[in-house]
Amino acid sequence: MSQQECYQEFNEKDYEDVTPMSIETGLKDELCRIMYTDEYKQLMGWTRAMLSKNELTPRAIRLTSKLIDLAPAFYTIWNYRYNIFSHLLQDCPDKESWTAKELDWLDEITLNNPKNYQIWSYRQSLLTNLVPNPTMKRETPIMNMMIDDDSKNYHVWSYRKWVVKFTGDYSQELGFIDRLIQKDVYNNSAWSHRMFYLKNIEPDNVVINEEINYVKDKISSVPQNISSWNYLRGLYKLFKSNQYDSEIIEFITPFVNNLSIDQNNDQLPEIQSSYALELLAYIYSLTDQRELSTHYYKCLATKYDPIRSNYWNHKIELLSQ
Amino acid sequence: MTNNTKKTVKFISRHLSLLPSQQQCNDINKMAIIFYSIVSLSALDVDVIPQYSGYAEWIRSHYKTSIVVGEDKFIIGGFTGSLNMAVPNVTTMSLPNTLFALLILLTIDDETILTDNKITNEIRRFVSRCQIKSHGGFVSTLDYHTSEPSPIDSHDLRFSYIAVAILYILGCRTVEDFDRFIDVNKLLDFISKRQCDIGAFGEDSEPHAGYTSCALSTLHLLKKVGALPKQFKDDTIEWLVMRQVSNLGCMSLQDELNESYDLADIGGFQGRENKFADTCYAFWCLNSLSILTNDNWRQLVKTELVEKYLAETTENKLVGGYQKNNESDPDLYHTCLGIAAMELIHGNFDGPLCIPAKVATKYNL
Repeated sequence: MSQQECYQEFNEKDYEDVTPMSIETGLKDELCRIMYTDEYKQLMGWTRAMLSKNELTPRAIRLTSKLIDLAPAFYTIWNYRYNIFSHLLQDCPDKESWTAKELDWLDEITLNNPKNYQIWSYRQSLLTNLVPNPTMKRETPIMNMMIDDDSKNYHVWSYRKWVVKFTGDYSQELGFIDRLIQKDVYNNSAWSHRMFYLKNIEPDNVVINEEINYVKDKISSVPQNISSWNYLRGLYKLFKSNQYDSEIIEFITPFVNNLSIDQNNDQLPEIQSSYALELLAYIYSLTDQRELSTHYYKCLATKYDPIRSNYWNHKIELLSQ
Repeated sequence: MTNNTKKTVKFISRHLSLLPSQQQCNDINKMAIIFYSIVSLSALDVDVIPQYSGYAEWIRSHYKTSIVVGEDKFIIGGFTGSLNMAVPNVTTMSLPNTLFALLILLTIDDETILTDNKITNEIRRFVSRCQIKSHGGFVSTLDYHTSEPSPIDSHDLRFSYIAVAILYILGCRTVEDFDRFIDVNKLLDFISKRQCDIGAFGEDSEPHAGYTSCALSTLHLLKKVGALPKQFKDDTIEWLVMRQVSNLGCMSLQDELNESYDLADIGGFQGRENKFADTCYAFWCLNSLSILTNDNWRQLVKTELVEKYLAETTENKLVGGYQKNNESDPDLYHTCLGIAAMELIHGNFDGPLCIPAKVATKYNL
């Protein structure tokens, strides 16, 4: 019974017996004085009174819904709601359906407050402590909606990683990431998530080589993209002991259009990717081909990425030490 | 003071006076609003002490205590964001509001809290209580009823930074000092788990300039930057330098292909790969670089282009203040961090504590 009561329409009459703990307004020497609405003053008056008594009832939950609408950043109210909810849930025979209902409510709030991070930690606490059988399936729709709306929302991506680890369900990740990369190959969050996925599934060599082919394909279609190059570098760093073989060098080289060491500054060709050049410079610095590495850094400094000329010159200095 | 600066001072000062009811969702953020305002004004060389020291008592009235009853009974203390959040028998103080309030008070030259041993001990105990024993990170608030770490709060790098900054302001200087209140080793472990493979810090593998600045500022205050592996430090410097947006050389090849690339962003810093530049990341990136390289960072990036980006693209010429980017309206947060970035470049700002250098120097911080 109390389950339904928690999600009923808000009605002022339910609080008539509460002596409001009014908020103070019009103090002397006060900064940021806000012209509060009467509604806010009334709701805060009731909330403060009930919080002070720690009233854990359905009407208190309804009040938190109302206040979270008005002031979603008020952390104590989220804490209050959690305590009320977990208290009431104790005596509920069907925890599954009630926690589902609470998540439905949270979905709505989430759609209206995309940047509020408390939503996600509240959700995390529900799944960790109160939801009987948390599944990836229940979490997917809201996460997908939020990512569709802002494909690089850091809170949502962090939450997604948490849920995947928490439920141990990695089955949807690759398809999901692939769809996002197809939509926008520059989406760094999607590439980072792909690396997160890969690190957690303990891939064998076959999988790693497939990944190398996958990212090569993405690089070939859009060569000046730092996210795909970082992914390639990550694969070599984490799974190939940073050993770049001749095959991968052959793949990279065409993106720098036969850049050679005997060209003068004014003869430098147009190239397709500064990231390709940077990676070659790095690989050659590892294999002790300092002269070539230095030349490539010099080309980055003078022509292909001159905003960072100071930094590339600094790399050259380090090489000569 | 230039005409633009005058407008910005006016823009900021407006936020400290009467606010319309649309701002009531920011009731909880009042202390943050005051912090951004006072720090910005002080950094712009407005004489905030005579103008705002009369509000010190009202700021101090946001200091609240709770009694923690356990094996032994003790008092914890901290600041709430607004007096409306202070409720009898309820713990509502938070780490961010406590840091904001302490820094505001220092900036308006009020030492009352700092010199009160009873209060500073209560605050240290509050900070101590926010550390999660299992992983070493911090939550920002305690459960309103039990004063245990809040069951619904996140524990990202921001709160670790804030916890350490508070203890630093209250006098901790060595690891031994910090260890009296928090488990430094656990915290260092927590931070190192947030190092990303390609350099910089982030929650779960995607590096982020904001979290990177928090992590590095924390390590700086703990005097532990030197303990980072050299390779990771070098990778982080490179990652940060790469965040300056450019249209030169190959960089312009992204134009019209990358939906998060905008020629208006040139010279500014982005917070992550393939994102638009944003005023605040100029500060987060430059502060991080300054921590990692001492003073060499000015030789590593093109500071004149950042200044140009801030002055020409995100400073609002009509109403003052700074915007997030060329398309948004000015807001207080970006105004504060835009000014902070400018002053950091000119050597007038303490990045790790986010206050004007003159304030830090005055209090030996």
